[in-house]
Amino acid sequence: MHKEEPKNRNSRNWSKLLGWTAVPITLLLIWQIAAKHLNQPWIFPPVTSVIEQLAHPLREHYASGSLLSNTLISLLRVLMGFSLAAAAGVTLGLFIGSIRIVRDIIEPIIEVLRPLCPIAWLPFAIAVFKLKTLPQLVGVRYSNTIFDQIQLGMIFVIFVGGFFPIVTNTLDGVAGVRRNYLLLAQTLGATRRQIFLHVYLPAAMPMIITGLRQGLGLCWFVIIAAEMMTGSDSGIGYLLMYASDNSAMDIVIAAMLIIGVIGALLNFTMSRIMLNFVSWQGKEV
Amino acid sequence: MKPDNVNKRPAENLIALEIHSVSKTFHSDSGRKVQALEGVNLLVRQGEFITLVGATGCGKTTLLNLVAGLDTPDDGYLRVGNNLRFGDNVAYVFQHYTLFPWRSALGNVAFGLQMRGVPRKQRKSRASDLLARVGLSGFENAYPYELSGGMRQRAAIAQALAIQPKLLLMDEPFGAVDDSTRSELQQMLTELWQDHLPTILFVTHNIDEAIVLGGRVLVLSERPGKIEHEFKIDLPRPRNRMTKEFTNLFIKIRQLLSVQLD
Repeated sequence: MHKEEPKNRNSRNWSKLLGWTAVPITLLLIWQIAAKHLNQPWIFPPVTSVIEQLAHPLREHYASGSLLSNTLISLLRVLMGFSLAAAAGVTLGLFIGSIRIVRDIIEPIIEVLRPLCPIAWLPFAIAVFKLKTLPQLVGVRYSNTIFDQIQLGMIFVIFVGGFFPIVTNTLDGVAGVRRNYLLLAQTLGATRRQIFLHVYLPAAMPMIITGLRQGLGLCWFVIIAAEMMTGSDSGIGYLLMYASDNSAMDIVIAAMLIIGVIGALLNFTMSRIMLNFVSWQGKEV
Repeated sequence: MKPDNVNKRPAENLIALEIHSVSKTFHSDSGRKVQALEGVNLLVRQGEFITLVGATGCGKTTLLNLVAGLDTPDDGYLRVGNNLRFGDNVAYVFQHYTLFPWRSALGNVAFGLQMRGVPRKQRKSRASDLLARVGLSGFENAYPYELSGGMRQRAAIAQALAIQPKLLLMDEPFGAVDDSTRSELQQMLTELWQDHLPTILFVTHNIDEAIVLGGRVLVLSERPGKIEHEFKIDLPRPRNRMTKEFTNLFIKIRQLLSVQLD
């Protein structure tokens, strides 16, 4: 039994290595052979032409921009919408969760709005914000920067997407703080404000980070969907739609890969933060 | 032996705590009334080490919570000494969740100082002194989950001592550690008490512990809890469990508590 264990771990390493190398390579090979055989690149392009697209991220695709510029636009939109959602969600969650009466009053409305698909907010957001951009908000019509592509309606929809998981997780985290910790802080002389900052906030941190992770993932989902809707004229989701309308399936798949990889990277980053930041999680004693 | 020592009332300024016919009843969710305490009287002088012993569920914790101001009595009153202020120099050590899991041992001990606005450098050096005092040098950066049960209670005591308490409330603080660790902790606490002489109110269901630590042992009756008996312990510290006086006391208290159980 004793000697079994390292052997087991070794085979785990092997299977992991296979999962990250042999399996994808095999799939890519099958794809390449099948695509060459089919010979209809507008439906099923070979791997090589997708790689060729990915190798030229700065290539302009008519008026719709390049893979890189559109990716940056999408990322910037998500960054702004997510930041707003994080600020509002964490603050409100802390406030609502720590005061019972406020929680009772606010929670029903959150529960009703939360299951609503964020994309369903898009027509409303466009109606309210028209196609107003960020520079226009401060009175600049065209700044000739990437910010001209940051429409308030888009930001709003991303905000909605990120806000609900963040606020509900924060709220649950705060409401679940052990009474003992509050009493302990109280007897050690913490004021109400200090209890908020030094007990509620750190105690809820694992849940807050879980909320942020879910929120960021959802924001990335939402922006791609929003950019694919009519009325959008930039972003990686838009480029994907545009390429599809022009039967450029190699660009479509290149865009899909970029979206997937970025989504995975965002998730990975958040889980690393979780591991480093709240190492005590689940180890209360 | 009368439970009340009001007769030999000391000078007013030396009183740490006065409890006068305090009662407390809880209402359970099913609407049942549970009387936790009934007509409890107690007078504690400054610097006394009082241990409260009784069966589980006899209202010991309720009494501590009332003293700590975490709850209010239905009847009677509690008065603490003029120099005692909650959130200032009254500390409370619990049995469980005694430390903030998101703070290192040092951060936990420094918590009270941080709340008082003591500058970082100062509170760090004072906290590490205290950790050394409770035998936890080298564990400054350890998180509570990395410490053993006994070490956690040491850190919790250091955390309480950091605010220089005049009154120290302890609710079965050594209830979850093994016997040999328990003895070590008892000895450490005795020494700390002798050095600083805060008033200590120590709750336990362990008779041996109550006699080892207390200057007075109060025996609480079972529901509703009231102080049934009081033993003044004059044995020299550190106390030897093998003496006749010790075992006699032990048997007496044991008998009192088993009568309750019948």
